[in-house]
Amino acid sequence: MKKIFCPLFISLFLIAGYLSAWGAGRDQVITVTTALSEAEWKVMKEDIWPMFQRRYGIKVDAYTVEAADLGKVLKGMVKAGRVEIDVFCQDNMRLAELVDLGVVEDLSRYRGQIPENVLPALVEAGVFSNKLYFMPYRPNVQIVYYNPLKFEKYKLNPPKNWDELLEVAKRFHAQEGMGRILFKASGGAPTTAQLYEWIASAGGDPFSFNDKGCVATFEFLQELWSYCHPDSKKAKWDTTNEFIAKEVAYIGQNWPFGVPIIVKDWNKKWLKTYGGWEGPEKEVHIIGGEVVGIPKGSPNKRLALKYISFLHSKEVQEILMAKLAWPSIRDDASGKVEGWLVPHFESVTEALKHGIFRKNVSYWSEFDGLLNDAFTRIVIKGEKVKPVLDEYSRKMQETIGKYKKD
Amino acid sequence: MSFRKLKKSWLEILLITPLLIYILGFTLAPVIYAVYMSFQDKFTLHFPTLVNYKYIFTHFQFKEAFFNTCFVAGVGITLELTIGLLVALILYRNFKGRGIFRAIMLLPLGVPTVVAATNMRYIFDTSGYLNSFLLKLGVVEHAVDWAGGGIKTLMTIVVADMWKVTPLVMLILLAGLETIPEQLYEAARIDGAGAWKRFKHITLPLLKPAITMALVIRGIDIFRIFDLPLILVGRHTRVLSTYAYFEYYDYANPYTSSAGATILMVMILLTIIAYLKMTGTKEVQY
Amino acid sequence: MVFKYFSILLLVFFTVLVILPVYLMVKVSLSPPEDIMVQRPGFLIRNVTFRHWKDVFKSGRLWQPLKKSIIVATTTALLALLISIPGAYVISHLSRTLRYSMILSLFFTRMFPEVGIALPIAVNFIKWGLFDTNLGLTMAHLIRVLPVTAWILIGTYRTIPSDLEDAAQVDGCGRLGVLKHVVLPLALPGISVALIFSWLMSWDEFTYALYLCLREKTMPLQVYYYISRGDWFLTASYATIITIPVIFVTYILQKYLRSGYLAGAVKG
Repeated sequence: MKKIFCPLFISLFLIAGYLSAWGAGRDQVITVTTALSEAEWKVMKEDIWPMFQRRYGIKVDAYTVEAADLGKVLKGMVKAGRVEIDVFCQDNMRLAELVDLGVVEDLSRYRGQIPENVLPALVEAGVFSNKLYFMPYRPNVQIVYYNPLKFEKYKLNPPKNWDELLEVAKRFHAQEGMGRILFKASGGAPTTAQLYEWIASAGGDPFSFNDKGCVATFEFLQELWSYCHPDSKKAKWDTTNEFIAKEVAYIGQNWPFGVPIIVKDWNKKWLKTYGGWEGPEKEVHIIGGEVVGIPKGSPNKRLALKYISFLHSKEVQEILMAKLAWPSIRDDASGKVEGWLVPHFESVTEALKHGIFRKNVSYWSEFDGLLNDAFTRIVIKGEKVKPVLDEYSRKMQETIGKYKKD
Repeated sequence: MSFRKLKKSWLEILLITPLLIYILGFTLAPVIYAVYMSFQDKFTLHFPTLVNYKYIFTHFQFKEAFFNTCFVAGVGITLELTIGLLVALILYRNFKGRGIFRAIMLLPLGVPTVVAATNMRYIFDTSGYLNSFLLKLGVVEHAVDWAGGGIKTLMTIVVADMWKVTPLVMLILLAGLETIPEQLYEAARIDGAGAWKRFKHITLPLLKPAITMALVIRGIDIFRIFDLPLILVGRHTRVLSTYAYFEYYDYANPYTSSAGATILMVMILLTIIAYLKMTGTKEVQY
Repeated sequence: MVFKYFSILLLVFFTVLVILPVYLMVKVSLSPPEDIMVQRPGFLIRNVTFRHWKDVFKSGRLWQPLKKSIIVATTTALLALLISIPGAYVISHLSRTLRYSMILSLFFTRMFPEVGIALPIAVNFIKWGLFDTNLGLTMAHLIRVLPVTAWILIGTYRTIPSDLEDAAQVDGCGRLGVLKHVVLPLALPGISVALIFSWLMSWDEFTYALYLCLREKTMPLQVYYYISRGDWFLTASYATIITIPVIFVTYILQKYLRSGYLAGAVKG
């Protein structure tokens, strides 16, 4: 028995020594979660985080948590009283969920640290029942990707409104015997975002389900659907890049992160983009992107706030603009966008001019579900528009009623 | 159990305790919790209520998922057993290069399901290799939309699952084949029984325990099939597992999700009971 | 003779089917984007590039998941044996009805979809500090692995003639002695099969990892991460890398299985 004790002691001693040395000799560390594409991740890893460490001596330990998982992760951590995340970045579409779960810190007291040059509308988007829970970080908007070679081949112009879109869709279908336009119909969040945008541009309120704008949108989509590429059913933000690059589909909306992937990684230099088309009422684009927040009970709140401040700085915003063509949250940022990116950056700027925010409601996930179900039944299965929409309108009202009761 | 008996079998109890604790604590408890949740109201947390079941039974996605699961399970298990048996019978014979073929046949067993699903996407994509092949042959005029719904989409799931697990079925059947004494065949041959007769009267009956084992292992898993349809066909063709997942993941509703999962469990339970009833428990040997 | 040629033809056909998806994966991982990002891809490898492989090695997302997957799979396999070797031994000696209900309850837990079990488990693991740790993931993987190893082992023990055990007991071996000196050596083939199976099952596992990993991913999770970012080439290269160790393992497995060791679980 004694034989065992000696090595055991030594190894314990060594471990303890190692641990204490590890604790003392290190920079301060904050843990950040985010969901980025490979190209974006690279810029963060090579430029932004090292810069932050150099300047403030705080190391950023970052890892990926997908937007849909963040609520669950934070809920678990807060419930267990072990919050291991200091700053999270979250899709601005899934904010109400976090507020309702009660897992985010109220940042109202720190509103003053947001620079004046940050666009006020972006700050307002983080306010829920008069409390500031989230701070802006990156606005985003969908643009139209298209294949100019194919448009030239059939002497078509990129569509500027719904009528032209339908016309283009019909022409491609007639020429090639197959739909060549893409609608993100994979279901889930990507479809919801696109439907929301289309309904709004038809002057409708998506939450009503059956007002004039909703009916018009669904009727239009039902007609358009037969001229869409069948892969639309798989199209979401990641697959859309693939379908455009493979020349499976010739036109479709997507977030701008796909541009460097298609042009640089996959060598499809022909890719062109533009802001978008207008609906029957107006041109409207949903402002997406990410905001930052601090989980309730974060151990390093002070450092976390410093990091957020750093993200807001003109310098960082300009780097992100120059390297990734991210639109800035500041009105004074003027990063030098790389040459080949300029036209795409202009598309984003163009689209942002028509930007609106989605209504952030606590019944978003139910709305998401109902809207997707209605879409599947009407557009994919071809059921009659009005009766289905009336049914879902009723269901939506019931759900809202339940939330009001609490 | 009396105290004396308990004292006598202390060793057995000690040996089995870790396993029991694990099964009870880590599996039965969460299952019971999930079943409990399926009877809970999302808004009032009232228990018990049938609200979630009412919701899923009227949900068109659930009906489709239910049908899809039955189809995939039924067709999948039949094909897997047939082909597994076929390959096992071939590999059971002695011939040169048998080891290599056997090693190759086992390859999918180790390919992670996520990877298998990715590979299947290369094949079944609209601009994938199968369409490329068919177009080259001139069998079809336009690319086939494999994810378009209906039987052909379900068949892609079946094929993907077959690729991944037929080796396991084959392995079990092969092991079963090897337990059949060679003398039996020789005796039959002397009696003048043909290949088919030998197969029908010796191989099949003696292989029954192995078939049962393959059926139970695969039967349970194919009902719960999850990663493959998730990656391969996404939201528009759901099976019950992915239905439960999307209820939770997309619509943040663990209660209806649990209800879907519970239904799936009941389905599996009923199928197994029915199978055991049908074949008679006597033949099931463990 | 006809039958023989027919069966060889069939075998070759199946072999092609088995290899094809894996071949395509390797092909994608080695091809430049111009060859893959087209409407009608060809089956042959035209140009070879190691760009995507280099990208994977440079991405900083390889060694950590590889290490984690190996550690978790190995610990899971060993722990599964540690728990189920004695447990299965007892079950195999129970009366028929008891044994029967034990086995059914083992499999009852496998009847519930993993997505349903993973959530309550994740919440509890966070409370216990097991979230995002190798130990926690190992424990979750055991849920999946234990019923199978236990079943294989029960089958294996059942094949050992009870006369042998009785004889040993008469010779003055204690009950533990019987297990150690008589049963275990005889059950060794079955045990190795169980070991390899549980290793593979853990290596393959996706759902629990999805719920229980945050900072450190396992390899299947990392593949899913690439899939969900729509990156064809990184997905393919990564998937190829994760498949390579498995080829070795299955090779070992098939060597072990030569004389039908699995039969232990099959025979009456």
